[in-house]
Amino acid sequence: MDIKICLIGKGNVGTSLIELLKEKSEILNEKFNLNIKMVAIVEYDGALINEDGINLEEVLSKGERFRELPYWKVDSKPTDLYKKLDINICVEATPTNPNTGEPALSHIMEALNNGINVVSSNKGPFYLKYQQIEDLAKNNNLIVKYEASVASVVPALSIADCLIGNQITRIKAILNGTCNYILSRMAAEGITFSKALKEAQELGIAETDPTLDIEGFDAAGKLVILANKLLGWRKTIKDVKIKGISKITPQTIELAKSDGLIIKHLAIVDEDELIVEPRLIERDSPLNISGTLNVMELQTKYAGPIVLMGRGAGGPEAASAILNDLINIVKKRG
Amino acid sequence: MTNLEVNIVVKLPDTPGTLVELISPISDNGGNIYSILHYHDKKINNMIPVEITFDLNEELKDISLEKIQKELFEKNIPIDKITFGAKKRHFVIIITGHVFDTDVLDTIKRLAAKGIKTKELQAKFTELEEVSNVKFKFEVPETIEEKEFIEELKKICEEKNLSLIRA
Repeated sequence: MDIKICLIGKGNVGTSLIELLKEKSEILNEKFNLNIKMVAIVEYDGALINEDGINLEEVLSKGERFRELPYWKVDSKPTDLYKKLDINICVEATPTNPNTGEPALSHIMEALNNGINVVSSNKGPFYLKYQQIEDLAKNNNLIVKYEASVASVVPALSIADCLIGNQITRIKAILNGTCNYILSRMAAEGITFSKALKEAQELGIAETDPTLDIEGFDAAGKLVILANKLLGWRKTIKDVKIKGISKITPQTIELAKSDGLIIKHLAIVDEDELIVEPRLIERDSPLNISGTLNVMELQTKYAGPIVLMGRGAGGPEAASAILNDLINIVKKRG
Repeated sequence: MTNLEVNIVVKLPDTPGTLVELISPISDNGGNIYSILHYHDKKINNMIPVEITFDLNEELKDISLEKIQKELFEKNIPIDKITFGAKKRHFVIIITGHVFDTDVLDTIKRLAAKGIKTKELQAKFTELEEVSNVKFKFEVPETIEEKEFIEELKKICEEKNLSLIRA
C-alpha cells in the first residue's frame, strides 16, 4: 500500500524522521505492506516536492544544503501542497510559539480541513485547542495523532488504548527533563539552583532562556494533553495551577532528605485539578528518577498503579513515536 | 503516614530490670512508646500492673503486633488487655519564605485550634534576613480530611506569602 506523506519542519525531529523512514523502509514493506512516500518536505521558505516520492538518502546527504536540490520550490506553502499532492498524512514538526501554537496550529487545522490525517510532535496546538482539533478531525472522519508531544517515545497517550477496559483515576508524572535534571543535580551534589541550571545549559539540556521549563509551563502543556486524552477532560493550559522550581534551595532539599524524602517537579491530575509544582516523594517511589528521564504513574481503578518511564526528548525518540502514529493511522484506515 | 495508638496492660514482677524486658519487644518492632504507667497501688503477689501506650504504623500493625505478642510471651510476659486508640496521620510539609517573621507561633496555634498538632519543626537558614526553609511534622486526626488540612495550611501560607511543598 502506498501512503503519501508530507513533512512540515525539517529540524531535529524532522531530520530524524527522514533517517528513520530510510532505515525502516524495507521492514515497513515486509511487515505491513507499507510503502511510505514522502512527497513534500516543507520549510518556512519553501518545500522539496516530488510527487513520486522524495529520495530521502539524497536529502540526508545534502544536510543543511537541501535547498540546493532541483526539486526545491521557493515559497511553497503547506496549504497549496495539501490541495495539489493528494497527501494521506501530514506530519507536523515545526518549532512552535508556546502562546499561540502557531504555525503548527494552522498547519494542523488546514490539513484536517483538506481531508488529510495528521501526526504532530507539537504540544502547543493541543494544550490550547484540543477540543477544536479533535472535533474537526472527528467531523471530517480523519485521525489526528500526537504521541510525540508528551514524553516523546514513552507511550504516554497510546496507553489509553491498552487500558480501555480499565479506568485511569489519577496521574502523577515528571514530564520535563530539564527540571528533573536540575533537581537531581541539586540533590546529588548539594549545589544551588543557578549552578545546576548553568550546568544543564552547558550540556545543552536547558535552553538559553529556560523559563518555559523551569517555571513549569512546558510540563503544564503536556499535563493538559494527558488529562484530555487519558481521562477525557476538556482543559486548556489556563486550567493548570503552576509553580516552578526556581525557588528551591539546597536547604529545602536537605530538609526533605533528612526524612527520606526527595523533591521532584510533579505534574498531577487529581480529582478535578491540574497541578504542576514541586512535591515531596518517598526515596523508593517509582517517580524518583534521575537525570532527564520522564516518568508517569497512572492510578487505575482495577489494577492499581501502572508506571511508564523513559527518555522524554530527543530527535530519534520523537521520530520513532511519529512513525508509530503513522503506522497506527494506516492500520486503522485499513 | 497513618499511625495507630495501641494500649497494652501486662503484669511485671516488682524487681529491677524487668521494664526493659517489656519495652524492647515493642520498640524493636516499630512501636513508638510515649507513656508507661505503673499501678503500684494494685500490686498483688509482687506483680505490678503496667500500662504501656505506643504508636504503630497502621500498615504494619498486624505483623508488628504479632511479633510483639510472641516476644513478650517468650519473656513470660502475657498481655492482660490490649486496646486500640485513635488513628493519627502524620504529614511532613516544607514551608519556605519568612516563616518566623510572619509569626510561626500564630501558624502553629491556628492549626492547633483545628485539632492539627505540630509535632516537630526543623529549620534551615542561609542568612538571617533571607527566607527560611522549615520542615513541619503535623499530626492530623482522622476526623480531618487530608484535603481539608492542606486547604487550611494553604490559606495561612497564602496570607503570609509563604510557599509550601507537600507530598
